[in-house]
Formats: sequence, structure tokens, C-alpha cells
Amino acid sequence: MKTRIIAKLDVKPPYVVKPVHFEGLRKIDNPSQLAKKYYEQGADEVMYIDIVSSLYQREIIFEDIEKTANELFIPFGVGGAIRNIEDISKLFHIGADKVAINTYAVQEDSTLINRAAEIFGNQAIVVNIEAKKWDNWWECYTDCGRIQSGKDVIEWAKEVEQRGAGEILLQSVDKDGRKRGFDLDLCKQVVDAVEIPVVVASGAGSLKDIKEVIEYARPSGVAIASLLHYDVATISEVKTYLRDNKIEVSI
Amino acid sequence: MSNIIGIVNYGIAGNIHSIKKALEVAGANTIIINSSEEFKKADKIVLPGVGSFKDAMQELENAGFIQILKETNKPTLGICLGMQILSTFGYEYGKTKGLDLINAEVKPILVDEKVPHVGFNHITIVNNNKLLKGIENEEFYFMHSYEVVNYTNIIALTEYGGHQFVSAIQKENIYGVQFHPEKSRQAGIELFKNFIEL
Repeated sequence: MKTRIIAKLDVKPPYVVKPVHFEGLRKIDNPSQLAKKYYEQGADEVMYIDIVSSLYQREIIFEDIEKTANELFIPFGVGGAIRNIEDISKLFHIGADKVAINTYAVQEDSTLINRAAEIFGNQAIVVNIEAKKWDNWWECYTDCGRIQSGKDVIEWAKEVEQRGAGEILLQSVDKDGRKRGFDLDLCKQVVDAVEIPVVVASGAGSLKDIKEVIEYARPSGVAIASLLHYDVATISEVKTYLRDNKIEVSI
Repeated sequence: MSNIIGIVNYGIAGNIHSIKKALEVAGANTIIINSSEEFKKADKIVLPGVGSFKDAMQELENAGFIQILKETNKPTLGICLGMQILSTFGYEYGKTKGLDLINAEVKPILVDEKVPHVGFNHITIVNNNKLLKGIENEEFYFMHSYEVVNYTNIIALTEYGGHQFVSAIQKENIYGVQFHPEKSRQAGIELFKNFIEL
């Protein structure tokens, strides 16, 4: 199977920002323009995560999402502050193809995953996991790496699969934004623990980091942010490099 | 000749927005079909679908669309779940009757690979046809856990995890594609152009 290369936009409306360790936000550009740029570079998908609304208990800001959706003829995932079926329904209506649920399912009511999967189909429901490494386990965090949950990442990954999630977006609180490579063991353990596709994020600082995580953990997709935002590489450069290294991608 | 593409809107099951947008980029005039009456205004029909087979059929029934879709002689294109429900039966959340426009059943994909099958993948044409003309070598975006099992109306196959499944079907002017043209970059727009020109 071809590994999907996904452009991830961390959004603090109205800007795409790039957190380091999920903190210290740097402003990059507006999401619709960046999304268009990455679409034209050959991204397989765009994932838009509003990283602040959940923490501030703010409503989802739909306007920027709709504007971004309008630029794309590839799948578009949206996450951040999703609390109910109405939010999800509205997101699909304005052009999202999948939604990524995190905080509400972890902290409030995990049956949101079941209900959403039954209505919208499991392929449309992504669970976003933010993992923090401890000595010999990983803990699920929420609200952009700020709030602990006590939940074990591997157990939670299995649980969300049982509940009907069609995909996992796996982020690492320790590695995000640092551009020093992925948490390889985390990625491998989650990929191996579930049957559903796992998209790994957090840590791509070089083309080699991406190749390494694909070879080691065999995720279904890799989500990239900093590398693209800071013009270290374009999506097409990433794909060409992977293909030259015998990793199947869609070009 | 007027050539209006009607996109069937039935309940929550369907991402109509992106299909409409892609059809318009391909040059179509579109309308959203919200009621039985509005089928008359369309020259061709696009049947989208996101969700489960059972829910989709239930929503079509609630909307009063089933008989119209079964009897229409307008060119029709089913997309993803919209293709699956053209079949006789589906087995998602129990056995459910489909539109039975194509003699087929819809069953879970059984492969030693991650399911749902998500991502860009190639198609192999097994029967030349107007819908896929000129885009035979392109990749299309798939996002599904079930496949259409049919032996007589296949126009394209796709391989996943060593298994070949039906990625496009045709019977007279009824077409179905398992992938999402509206999410398949320029190749998807070209498919819509072919559909507009049928």
C-alpha cells in the first residue's frame, strides 16, 4: 500500500501556527493559502487542526474551514473542539471528509466515537491521540498537550478501534515541532496494536526522519507540518525522495 | 441541449459540497435534488454517499427517492456508498435491500491489510467505456471498508493487499465508482467531464 503524505495545518484562527512541544506558537500563514500550496505540491490529504478552541472551550470557527475546503480536490480532515454530532454534521456539510476527535472523547464521553461512526461511517471518523512518554508507557494528553488523562495510549488505540474509529492520527507531545525525528517505538506499537490505518505525526525534521518512521513502523500515512511550513522541503520533494528509497507513494 | 447534473441530497449521508464544487470546475450546471419533484429538472443524476449501507437506504426511503432512482432512465453515477447501494443487497449492519439496479452484493473487504482502504490507488480497465476514457492510468482516492461483489458489470478493478476488488461498474447508463472523483485531483475532474459529455 502506498504511504499517504499528509499536510497538517495547526490552526489558531485565523492563522496556521507551529507550536514547539505544542507550546510557543509561531504564526505562519492563513490556512486556505497554505492548503492550496500543499495541494498543488501533491499532498494526498490536508488535515486542519484547530489547536486552541478546545482548550479555551470556544466554538469551532467554521468560516476558515470552509474557505480551506474550497481550495482542495483531495480529502480534507478537520479536528479541534468537536463535541457533538451537530458539529460533525456541520463540518461535513461545509466540505470536510473526515473529522478528528480528541478531547471530548478522552475526557468527557467516548461514546461520541460510536455514535459518529454509526451515522457517518467509520472511514470518516479519526481519533487524534496525543501521546506523552513516561518510563515504560505512553499517556493520552488532550488540549494540545496540556491536559493529562491517565489513559494508556495503546489501550486507548484499541478501544477507539472497537468503538468504530476508522483511523488514528498519532501525535507525540514530546516530539512535536522539534524536528528531531519521530517517537519510533510509539509509532510502531500503535500501528501494530490496531487493524485500522494509523497516520503518524510529530517529529519530521528531515526527509530521512520520514523514511525512517515508514520503514520502522509502517504507518498508513505520515503527517508533516514544520518541514513544509519552513520550506525545508516540498511535498513533491518528500515523495520523490521516498520513491527513490523504494517506498511506495502516490506521485 | 440543457445538461444539468442533479446531486441527490438525502439526509446526512453525503458530502455534497465537494462533489458540487468539482462538477462545476468540470463545467457542469448543477442542482441539489432535495425532493422527488426536483428529479425532473436534472438531465443526469449523481448519487453520493457517506455512511453505512443501511442508513443510506433508510434515508432514501424517508425521502421517497427509491422508486424514482429505480425507474429513472437518466444517466446516473453512484459514488462510493452511492455505487454500493446500486446493488441488490448490502451486509453492513445486517442484510439490507439496495436499489437493485445492478446485480451485486456489498460485503466487507477481506484482506490482510489495514481496513478501511484509504488513499490513492490505480485502476485497471477491464471493459472500455466512456466514463474512464483518457484517465486509465491515473490514481483515484479510495476510502471504504466494503466492496461491491459483481461478475457481470465490471469496468475497472483495483488491487489492495493482493486482492482485486471492483472499483467501477456500468450497466447501460448506470455507472458506479468506488473511489471519490471529487477527491482525486485533476483525474477526478476529468471523470466528471466524461460524465457530463455522456
